[in-house]
Amino acid sequence: MKLNIDGLLVYFPYDYIYPEQYSYMLELKRTLDAKGHGVLEMPSGTGKTISLLSLIVAYQKAYPLEVTKLVYCSRTVPEIEKVVEELRKLMDYYTKQTGAKNDFLALALSSRKNLCIHPEVSSLRFGKEVDGKCHSLTASYIRAQHHSNPSQPVCQFYEEFDTVGRQVPIPPGIYNLDDLKDFGRRKGWCPYFLARYAILHANIVVYSYHYLLDPKIADLVSKELAKKSVVVFDEAHNIDNVCIDSMSVNITRRTLDRCQTNVETLQNTISRIKETDAAKLREEYRRLVEGLKEANVARETDIYLSNPVLPDEILQEAVPGSIRTAEHFVGFMKRFLEYLKARLRIHHVVQESAPQFLKDIFEKVCIDRKPLRFCAERLRSLLRTLEIADIADFSAITLISHFATLVSTYSKGFTIIIEPFEDKTPTIANPVLHFSCMDPSIAIKPVFGRFQSVIITSGTLSPLDIYPRILDFRPVTVASFTMTLARTCLCPLIVGRGNDQVAMTSKFETREDFAVIRNYGNLLLEMSAIVPDGIVAFFTSYMYMENIVASWYEQGILENIQRNKLIFIETQDAAETSMALEKYQEACENGRGAILLSVARGKVSEGIDFVHHFGRAVIMFGVPYVYTQSRILKARLEYLRDQFQIRENDFLTFDAMRHAAQCVGRAIRGKTDYGLMIFADKRYARADKRGKLPRWIQEHLTDGSLNLTIDETVQLSKHFLRQMAQPFRREDQLGLSLLTLEQLQSEDMLQKIAQIAHQA
Amino acid sequence: MDDQGCPRCKTTKYRNPSLKLMVNVCGHTLCESCVDMLFVRGSGNCVQCNTPLRKSNFRVQLFEDPAIDKEVEIRKKVLKIYNKREFDFSTLKEYNDYLEQVEDIVFNLTNNVDVERTKQIMEQYQRDNRDIIQKNKAKLTREQEELEELLLQEQQDSEQRRLETLQEEKRQLQAKRKNKQALLDKLESSKLPAAVLLAQHKDRAAQLETQIEKQKQNVKPTNIFSTGIMMGQTVSLASVSRVEEALYVYQPLYIDTYGPPVPELDQLGRQGYLNHVRTASPQDQAGGYSSGLACHRAIQDAFSGLFPL
Repeated sequence: MKLNIDGLLVYFPYDYIYPEQYSYMLELKRTLDAKGHGVLEMPSGTGKTISLLSLIVAYQKAYPLEVTKLVYCSRTVPEIEKVVEELRKLMDYYTKQTGAKNDFLALALSSRKNLCIHPEVSSLRFGKEVDGKCHSLTASYIRAQHHSNPSQPVCQFYEEFDTVGRQVPIPPGIYNLDDLKDFGRRKGWCPYFLARYAILHANIVVYSYHYLLDPKIADLVSKELAKKSVVVFDEAHNIDNVCIDSMSVNITRRTLDRCQTNVETLQNTISRIKETDAAKLREEYRRLVEGLKEANVARETDIYLSNPVLPDEILQEAVPGSIRTAEHFVGFMKRFLEYLKARLRIHHVVQESAPQFLKDIFEKVCIDRKPLRFCAERLRSLLRTLEIADIADFSAITLISHFATLVSTYSKGFTIIIEPFEDKTPTIANPVLHFSCMDPSIAIKPVFGRFQSVIITSGTLSPLDIYPRILDFRPVTVASFTMTLARTCLCPLIVGRGNDQVAMTSKFETREDFAVIRNYGNLLLEMSAIVPDGIVAFFTSYMYMENIVASWYEQGILENIQRNKLIFIETQDAAETSMALEKYQEACENGRGAILLSVARGKVSEGIDFVHHFGRAVIMFGVPYVYTQSRILKARLEYLRDQFQIRENDFLTFDAMRHAAQCVGRAIRGKTDYGLMIFADKRYARADKRGKLPRWIQEHLTDGSLNLTIDETVQLSKHFLRQMAQPFRREDQLGLSLLTLEQLQSEDMLQKIAQIAHQA
Repeated sequence: MDDQGCPRCKTTKYRNPSLKLMVNVCGHTLCESCVDMLFVRGSGNCVQCNTPLRKSNFRVQLFEDPAIDKEVEIRKKVLKIYNKREFDFSTLKEYNDYLEQVEDIVFNLTNNVDVERTKQIMEQYQRDNRDIIQKNKAKLTREQEELEELLLQEQQDSEQRRLETLQEEKRQLQAKRKNKQALLDKLESSKLPAAVLLAQHKDRAAQLETQIEKQKQNVKPTNIFSTGIMMGQTVSLASVSRVEEALYVYQPLYIDTYGPPVPELDQLGRQGYLNHVRTASPQDQAGGYSSGLACHRAIQDAFSGLFPL
């Protein structure tokens, strides 16, 4: 179907379109026109991905000078593959309609582990091993050694790519990870380096968040992306946590021990090199005296994405004299390391700010702030000079050097917490130094600063105004779209009481209360009797789930449930969980019916969809608050309050509700799908919680569905399920929630569409 | 740390948890009891390297590696003498060379390379730069100053925050109590039915809540001084460079009237012009009016433009 979006010709690869998709594209077009950032919320299963792709591709074709590249960031490899498939569909449609040959290059990028075709390396199991092995075959000095000594092994795929691959551009087309591998095998080129090289001139790049947000990786992969790119973060409801994780550092005793061996290796290598090849060290020394000028020139000409770990001052200055020679630097690292060791030898929790830490380190071991700031850069230069092959080996000392640079660069937004033991096991000494980032805007700032449009989108972004605040940017469009439905296929219910009128809640005080646990059990039992096929139940934590299931077993509730349905449980072990999931789906498939007990914030709640009969009902037992006693969280809450004027409670509720919404949203994956959403906690009925649910759920939450008892819930559900079970054809949807081109162009429909976007 | 022990009496931390290891200038460890025993007379030789040591120089070992303890000790001594700051140098390069030189000295002393010569260099330097060393003793480096400033600010912030929240809570509590009291009073005195009064009370309580909410949201970020300077931004204390500019000179206004010269205001009376003008009444004069003003203006009007161009 060819659409006219605000004067832009958009090819849409399907014959029908949802009204909200049209509205979404309108909003998106406005954002691109304004060259600003946008926050867009649209329910899952309404075709976000294809709307995004078809509009941005059309925009790229119409204004090739305005938008040169689309960078699509998703979270997991399966999601990346899904996006590429949609893209392939779109491009096929283009060729069919216009008849012209496709001249677009789109490709997915993932880690070496997913792209390597070297027979030995690719058989390794862990990502880190693959990276290390690959590096030991492709590093520049290894290859130089290979020239003089052909017995030194190198990767023939990389060699092949390096000699011819860069001159011959990869032919236009759509490449997912497997396509890249095939192409690599055919040509004998390394697909990973090919992809990394090709993203520079590709029109569309699909990869994971980390390639943009994690400063260590972004520096390698994404720093040369053009300024006129559009960046899309899909499923971005957790983006703040990704940002924070990418800037935080945790140091344990083991890290320090490994670091110690690293330092020793460095020292030995230096003394060895000094005897054999002193010129090399002298060359490095000369370069450092002149300063890190190369990087500076590149940044000035605006070629690179700036790196939050490498602040601007460093580029303008030369390395301080005290760490210029290799021996002095190793001595410096030794002192820093011993200092950290001494700090970890404590018996009580310490929390301090970066300036306090810096003052203490100066008093104890005479380390100034300035050399600390250059630590990461200096270490990198040294490793390069010493030509150490296995970089993975040096991860410990690299981590420490990053910590040194961060702690001396940022005086705000970070906190240092040293805990002598874990909260759960106070008798076992396991000291950890958390250097925790509290401000997600630090990591994402370069992205917002560099690219002309950044789109943050997900099914659950409510309340919308909080994201611009915590990420510290100014969006031009903030909108939430609802789902237009031919029939109300979602039925949110808030169950507040059991049949005995005891309030149902996962509040801490009543957690152990038998009446509450029994009521939760009764609810599940009753639902298992009336809901067909699959039910997914979410608990607030693994511990809570274990407790409840144990007492259900004692009370005999489990036995009763098992008469109706089989029960599967998610555990912390990924292999076990995927086994449970597989069996759960099998049980749903063959009509036996099953219940999956899982945990909010777990693997199931984030990445697994329960379409159609795999999830006819989702029950959310309790409000999934985070563990509020953790010191890191407390520090972050305090920071949010002081810097962004977001109160603790607001943020905690926001965080709990976005996870609750994410959990219940697993059941509805499209308009023909239907499902019950049961919130089993009386606190959901309060206005402050209810108001933070996404608008597309809130709309269907009437006063009649608040604070129900189990009996009432069963009645309402029965009614709902019977209605939904009636045959539902495409014709029923046409004209209401599914439009043909003619219907779309009618006057009153356009008016309706204008109301879908809810400007926040 | 667990497997560390005294090299002389072989006691380990595991066997004696209260074991205290000491280290002296040579960088070799001894436990506290051995120190007490060997150095009863206040001085003696190191068991391992035979360096003459004093008992008073023994320190508790802070780090796992005693070499670091030794280095830090030496470094502190060296830095007391080599205490030049960045602004004592004209270029950054010189400063960096100086830093490297200091580092070399520390390195030599800790690793026993050319100790005698290095000591000589140090003494030479100390003699040459006596006054600078004295002067810089009291001064902190710029970075340390910044750190101190940040710490101070942090303290102030947290204190202020604490006070604010305390006050806020107090105020809220008072407002609520007042509201409750008002309800009781009304129930006592008013003629309206209790249900209505209760409803009113509920409304008011809700209003109060929303007000509090609003106030909370209105809290302004306190990151700007009253002078408009951002907190955390360091203000350079260097004097502002002088701007050289020509000063403004007043030039009296000259208007060509194209007429005969008009007599000055104070000459009007003498030349008899005022005889034909109405004299100002006392009321007029109170406001600063004089008959000369009107007359002067009238004459200006009359004279201007009399000559042809």
